[in-house]
Amino acid sequence: MMRADKPAASYAKVGRRPDEVTLKPDGGQLWHRWRPPFSRRHWLAWRGRYNPKSLQRERLLVDKRPLWWTLGLGGLLIAVPFLSDQFVNIAAIFCIFAAINVIWTLIVGAAGIFSLATMAVVGLSAYAAAAANVYLGLPWPLMMPVGAAVGLIFGLLLALPSTRLDGLYYALLTLGIAEICRVSISQIKALAPSNSSINGVASFIPSAWHLQRPGLLLGFAGAFVLLLCALLVFRLVNTERLGLLLQTAREDEAFAEAVGIDYRRARWLVFVLASSALGAIGAFYAMFYRSISLAVFSLDQLLLLFAMIVIGGLGRSEGAVLGTAIVVLIDKGLIGLGPLRIIIVTAVMIIVALTAREGLTGIKAQFQAFRNRKKSERRAARTEKGGEVMPEEATEISDKQLIYRRLFDKRLRDALKSSITPDLIAEHRAKPLGQHSDALDRLLNYFRREEMPDKYAILRVGPLRSCSYRVMALSGRAGHPPRLVDDKLYPTLDEAYHAVFLLRINDLLAS
Amino acid sequence: MDATLVIYALYLAAIYALMAIGISLVWSSIGMVNMAYGATFAVAGYAAYFAADSIAPAIRSWSTGVDGMVLLAVLTVMAGMIAGALFGILVYLVAFLPIHDKPNFAVRSLIVTLAINLAAVQALLFAFGPQQKALPRIFGVGRFNLLGTPMRLDQAITILTTIVLLGLVLLWLRISRRGLEIRAVMQNSEGAALCGISTRWTALPVMMLTGSLAGLAAVLLSQSIFVNPSAGTTPLIKGLTIALLGGLGSVPGAVLGAILVGFLEAITGIIPFLGQRYVLVVQFAFIVLVLLIRPRGLGGLLDETRE
Repeated sequence: MMRADKPAASYAKVGRRPDEVTLKPDGGQLWHRWRPPFSRRHWLAWRGRYNPKSLQRERLLVDKRPLWWTLGLGGLLIAVPFLSDQFVNIAAIFCIFAAINVIWTLIVGAAGIFSLATMAVVGLSAYAAAAANVYLGLPWPLMMPVGAAVGLIFGLLLALPSTRLDGLYYALLTLGIAEICRVSISQIKALAPSNSSINGVASFIPSAWHLQRPGLLLGFAGAFVLLLCALLVFRLVNTERLGLLLQTAREDEAFAEAVGIDYRRARWLVFVLASSALGAIGAFYAMFYRSISLAVFSLDQLLLLFAMIVIGGLGRSEGAVLGTAIVVLIDKGLIGLGPLRIIIVTAVMIIVALTAREGLTGIKAQFQAFRNRKKSERRAARTEKGGEVMPEEATEISDKQLIYRRLFDKRLRDALKSSITPDLIAEHRAKPLGQHSDALDRLLNYFRREEMPDKYAILRVGPLRSCSYRVMALSGRAGHPPRLVDDKLYPTLDEAYHAVFLLRINDLLAS
Repeated sequence: MDATLVIYALYLAAIYALMAIGISLVWSSIGMVNMAYGATFAVAGYAAYFAADSIAPAIRSWSTGVDGMVLLAVLTVMAGMIAGALFGILVYLVAFLPIHDKPNFAVRSLIVTLAINLAAVQALLFAFGPQQKALPRIFGVGRFNLLGTPMRLDQAITILTTIVLLGLVLLWLRISRRGLEIRAVMQNSEGAALCGISTRWTALPVMMLTGSLAGLAAVLLSQSIFVNPSAGTTPLIKGLTIALLGGLGSVPGAVLGAILVGFLEAITGIIPFLGQRYVLVVQFAFIVLVLLIRPRGLGGLLDETRE
């Protein structure tokens, strides 16, 4: 049995995250992991450890993203039946766009191919599947395989130049191909006689239910399943072998090649796979709307999708879904605002791009990096203020007492320096030998404790009756005589005492 | 191929060259793909329209002869260029200054400029509506014969203006102190910074210069098309494709690409079974072909030598 528990005693509330919820497993549960059948993987990333303060065994969930996924998607699933027709439709559109974006993220993020032909693949497959249904009488369950096949073939064609061109050049090429697709389809009169769109496509939604409440709910259910499938594809590609190969290539291409990873082939494979998935989504798109028109290829639509993955954060599935949710809500939910809503979307885009390095989902990591930087800056400032010993020097000193002794000495000197005033010096000049104030006593005690080298001494010059005094400095080494500091002569001993005092104060202030 | 077609092709090439060189310069000097160039184009077009609209009656009452027309033309072109430069400053302030030394600058600035482009187009739509505005024919509508070939006056003046102004810009880049700094940043921004050339203060004139080039292109192109909020999209896409065709960062490559694409467009337009509708498709097919043969564009050796 496990129970959620916070550390019992207050002394355990020490450390970086004392309020984090941890489980306290009993003996039998200590090493237990749930695994999916026939695999060696775990469902959740649990980590066992001993609490460093209370020394109790505890388990904590290292990666909490599965919880957030469950909460978000489960919440959507539960909430949708209670929403109005308009918002059910928005939820379904959100699911479709999120599915497209998740697969696009696979191409851009995992494979690192900056392709803008996403909507071209979707649209072309949608047209092919719709045409197969309307003109060849293909039943609707076969439309998605047809779409996937068309996507696969188109993906193969698109993938050919992807390894040759890089970055922007490939993006431009795919943009051009999307434009070519749009114009060619608008010119094929046999394909789409009326206004270049194919209407009356069969669908998984019975035609009697079209635009009715049950039809909308069924459409949402289908789109939700589509989104789950897209996430599954993302997960299977991105975190399994193929994804690991690609991650190595992203980090260091030359290294990946040197250890025998054929990353070009892996990229190509992911691209073709993703294109095929996009084709299936395209067929679903045609079924969902029961028609397909040229609007699918429009640049505005593509830019809106780009805004979605950019706001969420390039390269992460959660980013794609979050960005889609935000943009779809603004774009479809606030439809009364007219052109203003595009301006709101662009404002969100600008703010996110200017402040967040990796989109909204990268904010956590960015904040942690920022906090760590500030922390180390503060630490460095502390070392500079208090430390006579610089960090790199400290590792060289084996006697750590010495480090702290110097640290203490520095702080003491700083305190004493601030206590030196003209009044203090006047007090010493008046009575060099006695009955001093507390501040002067502290100062003199510090001077008395100093090391032997360069300590000052007073030399009597001339006969005892009519003598004068000079100040000299001890060498600190046996057999080496002291040296004269200057050639000033002081008539009385008190004046010599005071001269030594001034010299020491001078040394202290100069240190 | 007759002479009218050559003139038309050169006319298109001139305008495309303005856009492509602007995009190319910005990319090579400050490492930013300026997607807000289309918005600059549209904003400058509107500014020129309103400027011409408000001063035209005053000028007509002053003089209806050639001097009045020249004054109107100069003022309209100036208005477009100044508006373009101001919009360039805006892009500089929003998209360059806050993030130019932050990680991931290339992608982030692309996103920001794209957002500026979208926002500006929507704002224009919001403010002025989707109606198309016709700029006055500031170069006149006449034709004249040059060595026996008939030429449209506005096309000839456009070609001449572009050649003169581009020549001036390139000359300025070549001989002036500021141009030297810009070229230094283009070659090696870190080395330039070590020599005391501030990237920030170099980027500002670059953005203003390229913005005013877009403004010039807007005024010139608006002699044959109308000004509307999304007028900048096509020039942006064409400018970007030509800049890539010529190899980003290469000015001669951009000029060569513009001339090639201008001729291609003019020829595609008159071939009977292709026609105007297929202009974009043929262009893209051509560019795809070129990029497949030369992946870095026509003049794109700069990137490789830089590495």
